[in-house]
Amino acid sequence: MQNIKGKAHLLPEEINTDLHCSAKYMPGKDTAYIAQHAFEQIAPHFVSRFKTGDVIVAGRNFGINSSREQAVHAMRLLGVAAVVAPAFGRQFFRNAINNGLPVVECDIGGIDEDDALEIDLTTGVMRVPERGLQRMFPPLPAAIQTLLAAGGLIPFLQRYPDWKTA
Amino acid sequence: MADTLAEKILGAHAGYTVKAGDVVVARVDFAMVHDARAGNALRQLEKMGAANLPYASRTAFVLDHYSPPPNPEAANTHIAMRRFAEERGAVLYDIGDGICHQVLPEGGHFTCGDLVVGTDTHSTTYGAFNAFGTGVEGTDVSAVMMTGKLWFRVPETIRIELKGRLQPGVWAKDVTLTMLGRLGAEGANYKALEYHGEGVAAMDIDDRMTLANHAAELGAKAAILEADDKTCAWLRAHGAREPRSVRADAGAVYSQRIEIDAAALAPQIARKHRIDDVIAVTDVVGQKIDIALIGTCTNGRLDDMRQAAAILKGKRIAKGVRMIVTPASRQVYLAALREGLVEALTAAGASVEAAGCGTCVNITGHLIPGDDQVIVSSANRNFKGRLGNPKSEIWIASAATVAASALTGRITDAREVEGGRWRAAA
Repeated sequence: MQNIKGKAHLLPEEINTDLHCSAKYMPGKDTAYIAQHAFEQIAPHFVSRFKTGDVIVAGRNFGINSSREQAVHAMRLLGVAAVVAPAFGRQFFRNAINNGLPVVECDIGGIDEDDALEIDLTTGVMRVPERGLQRMFPPLPAAIQTLLAAGGLIPFLQRYPDWKTA
Repeated sequence: MADTLAEKILGAHAGYTVKAGDVVVARVDFAMVHDARAGNALRQLEKMGAANLPYASRTAFVLDHYSPPPNPEAANTHIAMRRFAEERGAVLYDIGDGICHQVLPEGGHFTCGDLVVGTDTHSTTYGAFNAFGTGVEGTDVSAVMMTGKLWFRVPETIRIELKGRLQPGVWAKDVTLTMLGRLGAEGANYKALEYHGEGVAAMDIDDRMTLANHAAELGAKAAILEADDKTCAWLRAHGAREPRSVRADAGAVYSQRIEIDAAALAPQIARKHRIDDVIAVTDVVGQKIDIALIGTCTNGRLDDMRQAAAILKGKRIAKGVRMIVTPASRQVYLAALREGLVEALTAAGASVEAAGCGTCVNITGHLIPGDDQVIVSSANRNFKGRLGNPKSEIWIASAATVAASALTGRITDAREVEGGRWRAAA
């Protein structure tokens, strides 16, 4: 799997993605609209500063509660390359993998806004080369890395309709 | 090899022995899609482009969240769900039939040891019947309808032992709130829970469903109980396949073991905005309330309505308090009608509504609190703005506590009011 290189955009802990990145409380709004207003209540101008290929670095339990899949679809539209957090809401974690969005469970201490991050998903290393900062994390199981590499569950099953990769 | 319930059930569906931490592809027995996620599920199915969905007949489409639909988009989603169910042979539960987690067991769609997924975090509820129930999303159920299988990471398990029996006036809700106070919200994130002990055995099915359901607030992936005669009788009465209890092995490895002295528990309440800001009801007695809610997949069952009616029958709720009761399903509603509970609660000043999710989350738009209003609710979530007004407060407690508080207009310990120590005859 390719390494991820992108700028860090910080979000606080316990982000409820239903509230801040879905139409649950904005009935009738489509994913493109949601993407353009993602996280604006908690991080003003988040979307205008975010460039395709950048990385969300969040506090613990990112995506708690029911966490709609639409939040991940909106993040994919924004071009989020990965989300890094010390822990994720379970449902968000699953949705991210199913949609080919890498999730990195890692200590975020010392990471600043706009840090240029490099993440190696296979070996489990996150670095800020400019500042010599390095964090290790347990790499995702091989089966999940395969799902991510395929681009998510749907492209995976289109390629392997019986779930067998070998 | 000694297995936890999660390892045993997932292993049986993967076809080999599995351990916590393994990622497996497992056969799924039944799937559920509700109307808040059906639009997404149907879009994912379209993306998948599968000509055949051989497992659609083992899927239920449930119209419960947008029930009744508050806008044309929701009504159109309902039309699409009905059409899909008709064309693909999925089971349909229409508006007013009830909340997904109530109608699935009532419909006999699964039994002990089954693996059930649903597009809702509270799909843990099915664990009350010794099944592995877990929340997923639209992409997952699309995969299940196409292949009959899904990927799972086998969770670590926290084993909880309820020593002794709950005292009258104390309920499964109070057990979960106690756990939330101890572990914190997401304190069981990614993990499965097993509930064991005399305290669980003594509970009726309704209370066991609360226990399994409410595990979602702890972040749990599943919450599984062993089955006993009560479970099997209930499943048979609802037409499920012949139940055979799956048991955890002695020597299974748990990530944590917790003992709770059930007999010593008192009613608990989660204060505004945080489900894990839990204290004893006795410590906040007197806090003024404006709205009282009984309902939802967590505590909208017959026993909850019985608790409320035992307290409110022949009385009036406090002046200025609005009380809403939403039975979890049409079957619950009918049973409550036959027992006279609907009459008792209506006469006391409550509005009894058609079954659905409306009082839990502000998506039907008919329960928007005003500024500074305090809601005491038997629901499961209380984060700021959940009911559509971030300037209101939601407090979470048992149906008995909610009813007692509606009676006085202030947070009240149900054990201190007439009827507040009601419990079903054994």
